[in-house]
Amino acid sequence: MTTNTRTIQKPKPNFETKSWMFMRYSAILLIPLVFGHLILQDVIVGVHRIDLDYVAMRWASIGWRIYDALLLAFAFAHGVNGIRQVLNDFIHSDRGRKIMHWGLFLLWLIITAIGAIALIGGVRPIS
Amino acid sequence: MQIKLKVFRYLPHTGKKPHYDTYEMEVDPNERVLDVLEQVRADSDPSLGYRRSCAHGVCGSDAMRINGRNMLACKVLVKDLNSTQITVEPILGLKVLRDLIVDMEPFFDHFRSVMPYFVNDDPIPEDGKERLQSPAQRERFDDTTKCILCAACTTSCPSFWANGKYVGPAAIVNAHRFIFDSRDTAAAERLEVLNEDSGVWRCRTAFNCTEACPRDIEITKAIAEVKQVIYSGKIE
Repeated sequence: MTTNTRTIQKPKPNFETKSWMFMRYSAILLIPLVFGHLILQDVIVGVHRIDLDYVAMRWASIGWRIYDALLLAFAFAHGVNGIRQVLNDFIHSDRGRKIMHWGLFLLWLIITAIGAIALIGGVRPIS
Repeated sequence: MQIKLKVFRYLPHTGKKPHYDTYEMEVDPNERVLDVLEQVRADSDPSLGYRRSCAHGVCGSDAMRINGRNMLACKVLVKDLNSTQITVEPILGLKVLRDLIVDMEPFFDHFRSVMPYFVNDDPIPEDGKERLQSPAQRERFDDTTKCILCAACTTSCPSFWANGKYVGPAAIVNAHRFIFDSRDTAAAERLEVLNEDSGVWRCRTAFNCTEACPRDIEITKAIAEVKQVIYSGKIE
């Protein structure tokens, strides 16, 4: 006899299961996304040279818009979910958690919506 | 060697607030912290309260915070603390009943919640009285059989300090012991409990539990394996 793999009826994935997996997958994606962003914006371009003209030039390429959309979608959601997990440790009542969850969800939605509007609408360079 | 022993004191019946008592004592460097506490009880203050039973690192009664780290008082030698100042406090996250004695009931409630016992309602094999298992199958959960329920891991966990509803590393270790046992048939029920809000997902992989375990169980690894089974449904 050897160790053999057994398959069991796994629990139905709940929000915590999914959010845990999301944190893992998004973290893997964030490694190239965040480092790419940092190297480009802070090292190659430099933060003092980033202005509206630069953003307009960058977003003229659909590739960079997709890159930034991915960064927005994964980095911000990853961070907000991290805050949710930390706050979950300190907020114990169901009501408190519900308020916190909805508050964070709205924060995520509003910031993501503003980012999405900018990404889709683009910016007009200052003439 | 001369040491300064600082001990957390709380005797609810005296009406005094929790405080620290300091004892200057001459001890042998090869003595254990438990011996030092016994010496205090014998020579200075018989009211000092702590749990001890076997005094040989097996029963798990005397887990306490020694110089800020969870340890068994019967397993740590004075010389290994590398200090002449020794501070002894109760483990964190559980209510202090008296001096170094905490209420272990919430800890055992979490332990009981994961069904820490063998479950198999299948008929006994016809050819014998035993449910056979290969050495490799036995080896699979060997590490988590070593738990002595001292609570050093659970009470070193920041997630548990913040939220006492978290089932805690010790309960997960004991669930792991049966989930990975090829003869057991109740893994799915245990995983349901561990998949709840207060289950394994509260673990932040701080590794405090692994560091605190006096039996050197790879606790964080065991928790990660349970998480993987919940996610994949495969016990490898």
